[in-house]
Amino acid sequence: MKQIINIDINNEVHEVAVEKSDTLIRVLRERLGLLATKRGCDSGGCGCCTVLVDGQAVYSCMTFALSLEGKKITTVEGLRHDGKLDPIQQAFIDADAVQCGYCTCGIMLAARQLLNDNPHPDEEEIRKGISGNLCRCTGYQKIVDAIKLAAASR
Amino acid sequence: MSELKIIGTNVTRPDAYDKVTGGKQYPVNFSLPGMLHAKILRSPYPHAKILSIDTSAAEKLAGVRAVLTYKDVSQRPFTPVYFVPAQAKSMVQDFVIMSDRVRWTGQPVAAVAAVTVDIAEAALELIDVEYEELPAVFDAEQAMQDGAPQSWQNATNNIAKNPTFACGDLEAGFAAADHIFEGVYQTQRVHTCYMEPRVCVADSDTQGRIKIMSSMQHTFGLREKLAFALGIPESHVNVIKPAYIGGGFGGKLDIGFIEPIAALLSLKTGKPVRAEHTRGEDFISTTRNPIKVYLKTGVKNDGTYTARHIKSILDCGAHATHGSEVIMVHGLYGTFFPWKCANQTWEGFTVYTNNMIGGGYRGYGAPQGCFAVESQNDEICEALGLDPLEFRVKNTHKEGDPHPVLPGHKLNTYRLQECLEKGAERIGFKDRKPAGSATGSKKHGIGFACHPLWVSGCVGFPDIYEHSGAVVKLNRDGTADVVTACVDIGSGQITMLTQVVAEELGIAADAVKLVYADTDTAPFDAPTHASRATYSAGTAARAAAAEAKKRLFQAAAAVMEANAEDLVLENGKVMVKGDSRSAVPMTEIIERAESPFIQMTDQGPVPTTIAEKGSIIGAASMAPASNPSPCAAEFVEVEVDTETGEVKVLHVVYAHDIGRLFHPKSAEGQVEGGFQQGMGYALMENLLFDQETGACLSGDFLDYKIPTAMEMPRRIESIFIESIEPTGPFGAKSLSELCTIVPAAAIANAIYNAIGVRVRELPITPEKILQALGKL
Amino acid sequence: MTLNKLQEYYLPADSKEVAALLDKHKEGAMIVAGGTFIHGLIARGLVTDIEALIDVSRLGLNYVRKEQDQLRIGATTTFIQLEASAEIRDEPLYGAIRDALEYPPPQVKNSATIGGCVSASCPYFDLPVSFLALSGVVSAQGSGNSRNIPLSDFFPGVFENALVQGEFMNELTIPVPSAKSASAFLKLETNANDLAILNAAVWVSVDSAGKCEQSRVFVGGGVGEVPVRAVSAEQALQGKVFTQELCVTAGQAAKSDVDPLSDHRASGAYRKAMTGVLVERALKQTLSRLA
Repeated sequence: MKQIINIDINNEVHEVAVEKSDTLIRVLRERLGLLATKRGCDSGGCGCCTVLVDGQAVYSCMTFALSLEGKKITTVEGLRHDGKLDPIQQAFIDADAVQCGYCTCGIMLAARQLLNDNPHPDEEEIRKGISGNLCRCTGYQKIVDAIKLAAASR
Repeated sequence: MSELKIIGTNVTRPDAYDKVTGGKQYPVNFSLPGMLHAKILRSPYPHAKILSIDTSAAEKLAGVRAVLTYKDVSQRPFTPVYFVPAQAKSMVQDFVIMSDRVRWTGQPVAAVAAVTVDIAEAALELIDVEYEELPAVFDAEQAMQDGAPQSWQNATNNIAKNPTFACGDLEAGFAAADHIFEGVYQTQRVHTCYMEPRVCVADSDTQGRIKIMSSMQHTFGLREKLAFALGIPESHVNVIKPAYIGGGFGGKLDIGFIEPIAALLSLKTGKPVRAEHTRGEDFISTTRNPIKVYLKTGVKNDGTYTARHIKSILDCGAHATHGSEVIMVHGLYGTFFPWKCANQTWEGFTVYTNNMIGGGYRGYGAPQGCFAVESQNDEICEALGLDPLEFRVKNTHKEGDPHPVLPGHKLNTYRLQECLEKGAERIGFKDRKPAGSATGSKKHGIGFACHPLWVSGCVGFPDIYEHSGAVVKLNRDGTADVVTACVDIGSGQITMLTQVVAEELGIAADAVKLVYADTDTAPFDAPTHASRATYSAGTAARAAAAEAKKRLFQAAAAVMEANAEDLVLENGKVMVKGDSRSAVPMTEIIERAESPFIQMTDQGPVPTTIAEKGSIIGAASMAPASNPSPCAAEFVEVEVDTETGEVKVLHVVYAHDIGRLFHPKSAEGQVEGGFQQGMGYALMENLLFDQETGACLSGDFLDYKIPTAMEMPRRIESIFIESIEPTGPFGAKSLSELCTIVPAAAIANAIYNAIGVRVRELPITPEKILQALGKL
Repeated sequence: MTLNKLQEYYLPADSKEVAALLDKHKEGAMIVAGGTFIHGLIARGLVTDIEALIDVSRLGLNYVRKEQDQLRIGATTTFIQLEASAEIRDEPLYGAIRDALEYPPPQVKNSATIGGCVSASCPYFDLPVSFLALSGVVSAQGSGNSRNIPLSDFFPGVFENALVQGEFMNELTIPVPSAKSASAFLKLETNANDLAILNAAVWVSVDSAGKCEQSRVFVGGGVGEVPVRAVSAEQALQGKVFTQELCVTAGQAAKSDVDPLSDHRASGAYRKAMTGVLVERALKQTLSRLA
């Protein structure tokens, strides 16, 4: 039995019918067609599904949609403003941190929270900040470089 | 100083903007209106006969549109591996989409298409399968014994393949040895862990033709295998090339079950059908084959090899799939030919068990070989007090030598010694302490491994496709479109092809665009595998660009009243060589070529000539000229906590003879990513299965551990040696597999240097270290 | 995997409502806050029969309050909130809590709650082992008054807690001891997003002469159904001057208290040996915090 909820995604409120058991990733991808948030394991192990809820990085595959009333969700679709990339997005391009790119959206949002909370993190803090995100292509090196670049560009 | 303008620079990856803003074009994001969803029922038993399947209840469930069992699929066996023909003689044809005989836990036995994923899953529960369980075997050596459960009628002792190689006189060689070293080296089953799951959408038309989008590494391979599995002509299958996929690493190098199942369900229902693996399904769909290597080597006092005997036992699981080729590559390029030894015998065994089927994975048998050989080489040097760098150089090839595997080819460029010297210098190898001499409970050590022979593609390999094609079309605005079936799996094929075409045409990198391609419109390309894309697809793309340039010059010659042979293209202008005053923007030539035959102007009609007319296109399809060998050495510094057994990798230096460095940052990225995989292989990854039920015990990232940013070394340095290979596009060879072949052996040798005891079995877990130290 | 039988997702506004809902649905209901544990169970197909979820995150139970003789942590306090709280910062007493919070990745810390983590009764979790060492007490809220359950009585078995039907955990309290004391926690894991292969939490109080007065040593991870109290280690510490050497002795003693299991992560023999190592190291860390 579906339930109608209002969910705020990237400062836009969507009215959507959800199953009570729906996770946020299901709502994003299958009910709202917002495809930047990606499924890698559906069990909180890879971080590809990371979004921000009230500025905090969470696994959207582990978040019930019905727990999100009144919260503000940020996905990668919401990082660009007026056609301009968020500094983190630009830094990922400039540091060559994107290979297959499947982990990229999740890691950028984890980095977004990191830099919001700690504008000048050191190397260990950066690695800790992305420790909940797996990448199989890059070895994380250029991703760490990108986050340093983004921090320096502010 | 390079004369190249684009190649050798860190151009922005053309696909990066799309990926950082959401990545709409991954196959996982592809959908068609009215799409159904497929789910697969899998066997809970490792070895069984299916006595009956009753799908009637599933078919009646509201929302279910079709159900398939083995009765609905062709029983004509083939090899699912993409890079060979469906019935290639050098492979084993033992694969069908569904069968009434189950040979591994997780084997598909039925499939459902329904309007939602949830309904499809619910329908699976309603399918009633009656199994007769059969005895199963999970260990390859046990499977080879008389009396072991037989998986396949025609494979005596479960041996699917038994290739051998020999040279010289083994007995005489061992007799001539001053010392003989023997060891057994065991590697484990690991998964590629591509982040985008295997996923496809198959659609059919009313004439039974299929169109399919899939996350895979070979468009034409999918076409061929799908057509074969469905029993329809190849030209009735069109495979769309995805703009990019979310990782492959060799794990998407064979037709999965989902593609033919989705296609059959689409034919049955008349609707598009989507099938996506869960992560748990991905974990049991493809693996690096475990290989046990028995290695016996004779050496002189000065370290020269006199004889070597190698026996390799590869567990291929339920089907031979890649195992029948992995064993060959492991033998030829992993153990036998990389090293110079006049008296050698190699025996390879690809053995059926009731474990999961294997796939391809970066390095393809060589990591297993390198681990064995380079561990033993380290043992030899330690035992005899030999300089380990000199030992390697002494026992392997030199630049200019005949290619050890390919008759008629030479090692035109070969800089292994330079790799060893530069890598050793950068890490401070000469200052390393004797093995096990470190004090304190946290011990540092430095070790290295090299691999002296690898590939840039598949020229010379029996039965393996090796040709590429491309079409380059110039637009009126001076940009170039490139049609190629080469799949970008993440390692930068789009960027590389962009650079090649831009360099050849003398235009900016961002003026080149890779465009839509499918198997109907693009020329054949072999898969993105075997470190071949730059060397092979790059060669074809360059040739296609050169053809387009030739056509441009033909049209320009008519316009400029010059000879086409005298024309050059520089900075977007066509001119007579040496005469810059003659320069005409290429856009003008192309405009004239594409404009109406007679143009009306204020001065009246202006005719053009036939010679100037027509789109400026160049096409090429060709095999590359050779199969040049890159080579590499990796030096690693580790810290071993001798109380817990934990190993931290502190510093890595990787030196690689690359031919030509196309894109420094991208190349570093391959080394860094390759090390993540190699380190995981060395220290923590292990796909584990219940030894009675065959059920996977590590089917999610909670239980299957791969390195996060926290476990990675904080310093990884890459040294690229540009030997400028004459047969490669702009001098290129290859990169991306070697940097995954060497890490495990390098780490193992570094651990030995730290603690003075050796572990010959991967992964080298903390527990194994404590056992080796006698503490457990 | 999804909760196919889920009928209701409640967001009650007060504890009375929670109690009523628990009474209504009985075994068919589960309390949820952050959701990380329940999704872990869902992913493994372990909770397919749940028909109702009771989300307690709107009850205002996210607080950390220092009172005279106890620290009070509301059940829906997230890991990140606890980590950021001034109340547990710097104090040697809460070292084991801070240490345990170092390990999880941000996504877990942002969602996981103290209540969810403790009530899960998962022997592989970290914070409960620290809380055991610190003599934590669960406040169980039913339809009437709340009652207190010491953590040492809270874990009868794996995935079983001492709450009775109709109760949920609304708070955890940690007593402030009168004597000078410190605590520490260590964990062995394979990568940064992992359950403990083994973990250990210790708390030691000393007199003015530096002699161990009281101690609590707990070992978790693959040690069995529930974390184990290493009484032999505590006995080895009792009344002795707290030194580096004593840490080694107590660590070795702890090994006799555990009979860990073997699974695909590690053998029992390894876990037993690591009990000694982790207890010793945690004790050394505690010692340095008392300095």
